[in-house]
Amino acid sequence: MFAFVVKRLSFLKSIPLAALAFDSGIKIWTLLTKSERLDWIDEIEEEVLTWEHVNIQLHKFGGTQFNFGEKEIGHIHSNGILDILFNKEVKKRLLNEGKVKDHHVFKKSGWISFYLQSKDDITYANYLLKEAYLNLKNNA
Amino acid sequence: MKKMINPKALGFIVPNVVAIFIIWLNKYLDVQSEGSLIFSEFVIIPLFMGIISIWFWRKLNLKSSALVGYSIVNGGIALFLSYIFLGEGVLCLIIVSPLIFAFIVTGAFIGKMMFRKKNQTLNVSVLSLLFIVFVADSVSEHHYDNMVSDKITINATPEEIWKNVVAFEKIKQPDNYWLFKIGMPSPMQTTVTAYKNGAGRKCIFSNGYIFDEKIVAFDINKNLTFDIVNQPLDPEIMGHIDITRGQFLLKDNGNGTTTLIGNSWYKLHVFPVWYYDLWAESITRNVHLRVMDHIKVLSEK
Repeated sequence: MFAFVVKRLSFLKSIPLAALAFDSGIKIWTLLTKSERLDWIDEIEEEVLTWEHVNIQLHKFGGTQFNFGEKEIGHIHSNGILDILFNKEVKKRLLNEGKVKDHHVFKKSGWISFYLQSKDDITYANYLLKEAYLNLKNNA
Repeated sequence: MKKMINPKALGFIVPNVVAIFIIWLNKYLDVQSEGSLIFSEFVIIPLFMGIISIWFWRKLNLKSSALVGYSIVNGGIALFLSYIFLGEGVLCLIIVSPLIFAFIVTGAFIGKMMFRKKNQTLNVSVLSLLFIVFVADSVSEHHYDNMVSDKITINATPEEIWKNVVAFEKIKQPDNYWLFKIGMPSPMQTTVTAYKNGAGRKCIFSNGYIFDEKIVAFDINKNLTFDIVNQPLDPEIMGHIDITRGQFLLKDNGNGTTTLIGNSWYKLHVFPVWYYDLWAESITRNVHLRVMDHIKVLSEK
């Protein structure tokens, strides 16, 4: 469903608030089918907000966006897809580790997608976000 | 009493009272001349409700799952109040509910971000923007007309089909469309006062409601067009949609088969169109197909 909407109904992005409302629909669905996933996202949010100069906002296409100052570290959609931008080298290394995939839309970019499937994935999600955070911090 | 009126309870009560007041005020001031229900009422008000609720819940440290759950309860209360005070039909409320739930949850999470940042300038800007959009949308003219067209192939000649197009006996096939199954009236029978231009036609629905029609084009074996002159005063459709015209076109394929085209024109009074027209098209299409499939069965006997 998520993949179908992202690929086939991308025009919804041009309708103000439609992407946010769609993500809210996902939140409701997640609450009904796997409510603990919303708790995992909360846990990630809590951890990332303890890092220096990090703030959060709603992502323009729905979900929570993590920023280092003004720059985006990554964002997590309410179905548990964590998207982070790395350089191509880091992306290759992470793909070799076997836990992340090409971004669910921009496959040839530096973006990666990590799917939160269980509570254990929180640790790896935090590791990925920390890597992107440190990269931004060191280059600031 | 003091224990009952706590921030958690206020997060349910205040947004709903505010929403009902705004909708009442909008109706009282009669800003929409045709009584249309507009984008602002289905999008801006739920967003605002979500933001208000979070203002009361901001110190409760709610988890996201609780926030979504509470927002769904808020949406449920809003729908119940719409049923009681606005006289909306149950099916209408089912149709509108995804929009209400989604935007209340969206408002709640916008509010969560707003109040977390404690940035008064940002908060005033967001609320001012919502207010401006609400006022601008409320005083704008809203018109939307659309036509839905469907076609099927029937293994019969136009001559064999025509009599079944003008009027037909009761449809006995069970309803397949989910909205018909849960109680939305489906077309059952059509009667006609005469087989000529200007004659009266009645489309009778499963709950006994009747659409009065007048034939405005009677081109035998080719074109039957009728205007809807009176539609039932049903809360499910009243003030939401006007079916204005219907048409059946028959095209002889020259091989013993005929293409039957069903067209319907309607005027929507509920907005945003990108949401409600999906429903209007789906319902109209299923009305067409139920009637046209019945005509096919009768004609191929």
